[in-house]
Amino acid sequence: MKDLAFGLTMTVMGMGVTFITLFLLTLIIRLLDRLFPLKAEEEKKD
Amino acid sequence: MEVFLSALNALVQGFANLTWEGVIMLALGILLLYLGVSRQFEPLLLLPIGFGIILGNLPLAGLSAHDEGGVINLLYSAGILTELFPVLLFIGLGAMIDFGPMLANPIVLLFGAAGQFGIFLTLLLALSLGFPREQAVSIAVIGACDGPTAIYVASRFARELLPAISIAAYSYMSLVPIIQPPIMRALTSKSERGTMMELGEKKVSQKVKVLFPVVAGILTILIAPMGAPLMGMLMLGNFMRESGVIKRLVDVSEGALTNIVTLFLGLCIGASMLGGNFLQWQTILVFILGLVAIGLDTVAGVLLGKLMRVLTGGKINPLVGAAGISAFPMSARVVQREGQKANPQCFLLWHAIGANTGGQIGSVMAAAVMLAIMAGMGIVPR
Repeated sequence: MKDLAFGLTMTVMGMGVTFITLFLLTLIIRLLDRLFPLKAEEEKKD
Repeated sequence: MEVFLSALNALVQGFANLTWEGVIMLALGILLLYLGVSRQFEPLLLLPIGFGIILGNLPLAGLSAHDEGGVINLLYSAGILTELFPVLLFIGLGAMIDFGPMLANPIVLLFGAAGQFGIFLTLLLALSLGFPREQAVSIAVIGACDGPTAIYVASRFARELLPAISIAAYSYMSLVPIIQPPIMRALTSKSERGTMMELGEKKVSQKVKVLFPVVAGILTILIAPMGAPLMGMLMLGNFMRESGVIKRLVDVSEGALTNIVTLFLGLCIGASMLGGNFLQWQTILVFILGLVAIGLDTVAGVLLGKLMRVLTGGKINPLVGAAGISAFPMSARVVQREGQKANPQCFLLWHAIGANTGGQIGSVMAAAVMLAIMAGMGIVPR
């Protein structure tokens, strides 16, 4: 029973925190992209 | 005559001490060498592991990872028991990865989270089969489909299972092209698999590429400090790559450093696989649970992909979700191939690579969160 509680806690918290962290990272990436957009010369260089 | 017999006796000691477990392990070592050389299954790893198994199981050679004072024991103690080798590998990994496709389409990062679902369900399964908590967590991390992470966790919490877990993690990484397609096809219709995604390779500025490893490293380590060695080194390697000012260090990290560590890591893992501790029912269970974990990762990724396809009005191909595991770039290639089978006009590689790199961050994050929770519960020291 203790192991089940441990497993469920790990699953709920582990998946939850992993999802939330990666979601936060997506927001940070979008913010960085807005703050530092691709310049025309960079696009040409590529 | 007596001297001659003593000398002869000394020369046959190796044969005399060979056990049936040792013979099986020698055969296993030779099989891995065959798979690595003839079938090209992860040869970079299977060759040193296979040879390590052979050296480690030759009686009286003193070359097993557990032979105190032996040369491989020195490497094992310095590199595996201290977790140094997997951590060093992450510098090289970071230096090799281009996060560009993920940064251009950050929503695919969520697939990297879904791709870790199998880890947690497998943890429940392992606990229900009676594995102690530390072992169950270590086995579940095979589902990260990420060899170094699996080794890092197992070397901390389940050293007795380290050989089985390492072999399972690396074997399944190379078997992704066989494991994933049937699950993808079972969960999707042909029209879903053939969903076209936007083609243009959107780009991000170099500043974003340089800042991402710094910001992501800080955030993820603040959330789960126990994963700092892995995440920190991954982001360090990537920052060096994107900064563009230390090409020499990047070259060393992705080349010589990674190669040397891979050689020593493989050799040590192989030499730690002794007949007595490897030929057990537990090993078979570890392999089965690892397979289940990777299967469940794929299921969760594809199901999230289906959900996102609905939410975006058909703009996302659900197969991309299957690439949210850490097996890079095999999983992305599998997605591309399956998409094109359903619709030859369908090009998913760019998006799948993004999800795949997201899976690498997700796998380290999931392992770090597990370690942090365990430390919080007092199961392992902080």
